[in-house]
Amino acid sequence: MPSFLLEVGTEELPARFVDEALNQWRSRLPKLLTELNLTSEAIEYYGTPRRLAVLIKGLPSQQPDQDEEVKGPPAKTAFKDGQPTKAAEGFAQKQGVSLDALEIRPTEKGDFVFVQKRIKGRAIADLFTEQVPQWITGLDGKRFMRWSDGDLKFSRPIRWLVALIDDEVLPIAIVSHSISYHSSRQSLGHRVLHPNPVSIPNAEAYVSTLASAFVNVDPQQRQTTIESQVRAAAEQVGGIAIVNPDLLREVTNLVEYPSAVVGKFDAEFLEIPSEVVTTEMESHQRYFPVCQKGSKELLPYFITASNGDPKKADIIAAGNERVIRARLSDGKFFFDADRKVPLESYLPKLETVTFQADLGSVRSKVDRIGAIASQLATQLNITGETSTHIQRAALLCKADLVTQMVGEFPELQGVMGEKYARSSGEPEAVAVAISEHYLPKGAGDALPQTIVGQVVGLADRLDTLVGIFGLGLIPSGSSDPFALRRAATAIVNITWAANLNLNLNELLDAIVTTSDQLKLTPEDLLKQLKEFFLQRVETLLREDRTIDYDLVNAVLGENDQAYTERALSNLLDVRDRASFLQTIRNDGRLSAIYETVNRASRLAAQGNLDTQQLDPTAVVRPDLFQKNSEKAFYDALQQLNQTMQGHADYAKLIDALSQSAPTVSRFFDGEDSVLVMDDDPDIKQNRLNLLGILRNHGRVLADFGAIAKQAS
Amino acid sequence: MNFQSVISTLNQFWSNPSELGGANCGCLILQPYDTEKGAGTKSPHTFLRAIGPEPWSVAYVEPCRRPGDGRYGENPNRVQHYYQYQVLIKPSPDNIQDIYLESLKTLGIRPEDHDIRFVEDNWEDAAVGAWGVGWEVWLDGMEVTQFTYFQQCGGLDCRPVSIEITYGLERLTMYLQGVNSIFDIQWNDELTYGDVFLQGEIESSTYNFEASNPELLFTLFKLYEQEAQQLMQKELVLPAYDHVLKCSHTFNLLDARGVISVTERARYIGRVRNLARQVAQLYLKQREAAGFPLLKGKIASIS
Repeated sequence: MPSFLLEVGTEELPARFVDEALNQWRSRLPKLLTELNLTSEAIEYYGTPRRLAVLIKGLPSQQPDQDEEVKGPPAKTAFKDGQPTKAAEGFAQKQGVSLDALEIRPTEKGDFVFVQKRIKGRAIADLFTEQVPQWITGLDGKRFMRWSDGDLKFSRPIRWLVALIDDEVLPIAIVSHSISYHSSRQSLGHRVLHPNPVSIPNAEAYVSTLASAFVNVDPQQRQTTIESQVRAAAEQVGGIAIVNPDLLREVTNLVEYPSAVVGKFDAEFLEIPSEVVTTEMESHQRYFPVCQKGSKELLPYFITASNGDPKKADIIAAGNERVIRARLSDGKFFFDADRKVPLESYLPKLETVTFQADLGSVRSKVDRIGAIASQLATQLNITGETSTHIQRAALLCKADLVTQMVGEFPELQGVMGEKYARSSGEPEAVAVAISEHYLPKGAGDALPQTIVGQVVGLADRLDTLVGIFGLGLIPSGSSDPFALRRAATAIVNITWAANLNLNLNELLDAIVTTSDQLKLTPEDLLKQLKEFFLQRVETLLREDRTIDYDLVNAVLGENDQAYTERALSNLLDVRDRASFLQTIRNDGRLSAIYETVNRASRLAAQGNLDTQQLDPTAVVRPDLFQKNSEKAFYDALQQLNQTMQGHADYAKLIDALSQSAPTVSRFFDGEDSVLVMDDDPDIKQNRLNLLGILRNHGRVLADFGAIAKQAS
Repeated sequence: MNFQSVISTLNQFWSNPSELGGANCGCLILQPYDTEKGAGTKSPHTFLRAIGPEPWSVAYVEPCRRPGDGRYGENPNRVQHYYQYQVLIKPSPDNIQDIYLESLKTLGIRPEDHDIRFVEDNWEDAAVGAWGVGWEVWLDGMEVTQFTYFQQCGGLDCRPVSIEITYGLERLTMYLQGVNSIFDIQWNDELTYGDVFLQGEIESSTYNFEASNPELLFTLFKLYEQEAQQLMQKELVLPAYDHVLKCSHTFNLLDARGVISVTERARYIGRVRNLARQVAQLYLKQREAAGFPLLKGKIASIS
């Protein structure tokens, strides 16, 4: 059973592409083999920065032969009086068979001439010579390049090809202008540890041959090696390695022959915030930081997965130590320079930073954040020291943007503000709020935990939303350059998580009223903003809280102004109603009342009763009743109204509705039932009003007309 | 090895790499171009020569000005004026990485003693409509060189593709000399980098951040732009390109002064890019009209 090896030698591939390319092969090659009618015992995928390889074991030496049946002309035209005609001769000739080979078989459309052909399977060497170049050129990736004078596109230049079937070279070629690569058994080992070419004797010797040339071709093995070496190295210096999984994946594809090298730096650099030190190590140098056992405190060590000679570890460590020293000196320089003046003194410089051309500088944004935060504080009944902290945090929340450290490490915005606020003697609540107001930074990220951080974060996002919407820059499709969807989602999530009793309608009204850079009319702007928020609420209820689609519609109303207003004026209530509906659907309480309330709601839509009216005595005339069921319905509604007394206790409401359900169903069905659409308009109106009152009570919770019947 | 020896060693190496174990791709050794620019790439030796089918191999030192990087001479690793050693070879040779490693050997860096890696780093200079893909070369964790395969220049597809190698001369020399500040680099055996450049660094930082006159700079930008346009109408490629470089540097000065807002920024970059695009096209047209003289009998193929 032959084995096939393909190795594509390249200049150093981007780390991510190594994984992406192997994954493409993983999903494509088995299918390609199936299409070629080939089986295999195992397919192994290998890759390093300088090569992508696949080893297919246990292939047949050729495709199986295949029988093919070809249908020819109808028997009537192929044979006349038992003699073959020209049609038969032509068919036989075209198929390359003698006339004897023609058979006549019945089909649904009568008798036809057939020929049974045997197609010889092709040798895999043949097939692969033809097909394998497309395995390579068919790979996709970001930012592919051309090189030299060729038209080939690949992640980085291809430099050699190895293709072997067992111990035989399989000739394959990739050619474009003066670029031309022909397969051989010559591979290259480690760039500096094995500078001479290495000859692979047979396909299955690939892994061991490359290992002898200082290349570990198996990414999974390299990753395991790196992780265990890095952890062991951290142990040796008495700490624990911080192994970020993304970094580990990347580093795995930056080296062919990994060995962990430990370096150290001056402990004085640990005075720099650990976020800075970690960012320097992980994002800039691809080092693994080391922390103390049992705490998150960093130790003055780093570990790098070297691609060099393990015997030269000292030289390599010394070189890396110089680099991290220079980087950390930079960091320390920024940290010290930034703290020479209090955080507040950076405010004037924020005037030079543009938030958005038409909306002015970040300095003026900060003032707007302060104004919105104070409206929020009023709504939330926040007074005293907390309210002072909110104003202070709003003022300082962007000041770190013009510090040198954040200029250098934009990802540390907020984090540095918090540190600098603390060293400037700002209250702790203010310091914490400065970093918290950026939370959540993305889907699934942590939310602000303090009320000051929550309020400033909400105010910042509300300002951005109203400001950008006001310019008519409303997100559409996938274009959302100001991340407004994320901002609105964060507002709803923060409000829900912290149970903030906000009235978003009032807030938006107030902010829009004070905005002076509007390219939309205030009415249009408010309408668009509210729709946008409703979409966020809808998505969050459905996707994050897994509320059924129809139940979400039932609480938000379908094009129902009353529900829209209500949802945004009380975000907590809309969340609670939706979860409650889902709960009663799940426990069966919903189905007990569904039939009656839904039917009443749909019929009541034909009347014109004010949806706010809950008192049956105000709109129903008992003198018009013709049947007992009407009277019973009326009594039940009075009972319901008394029980609820205008309180929005949803559990109690559902309980009361389920008690009245049997009574209401007698109104609809059975011998005592009535026809709502009576010819007498007064009677009809009276009956619609009975239904309307029931619907209105249901509406306190949701629009039952929007709830779909569920099979129980 | 002092700073000036590093430069002369690289000049020596690239003028004939094959003598030193590299391949046969001897470079023309040129001198710096005399207009301020942010990177060696913007020298016409690279920017214009990377365009079109004519082969080209060049190496030169190029001073770079990045006004926003000034630190008043207080930061040991960052300055607003420094030097790059720039190599450009078209078409890119197959063994360019090996040749490059040979060049490190001539500087006394034995690759087998170190952890050398080619780490993905793509390059784009939106202001001149140029981009390419390549790596930073890490020497024991230190970025010492930038490799770029040019894909577009002035908005034109590069065919054939050039390889650009940019050595960070100060960084490399700091490593070789074991010093921790740019200003401590021995330029020759007597004078340091700081002796020559520290005062200028302080003064230029003051100019870039505090003393420049934004009104004047805005006016200059406009004038340089107009001049570039009128020169292009006369098909004077190099003088036009000089003024594109002046626009680009004036923009960098305005940017360092903090007087360009985010949206204005994109607009200014767009204006410089437009000019650079036009110059690039004009240059290609001019070379084509001249029959691509450097092809020397090879068949021109531009698609």
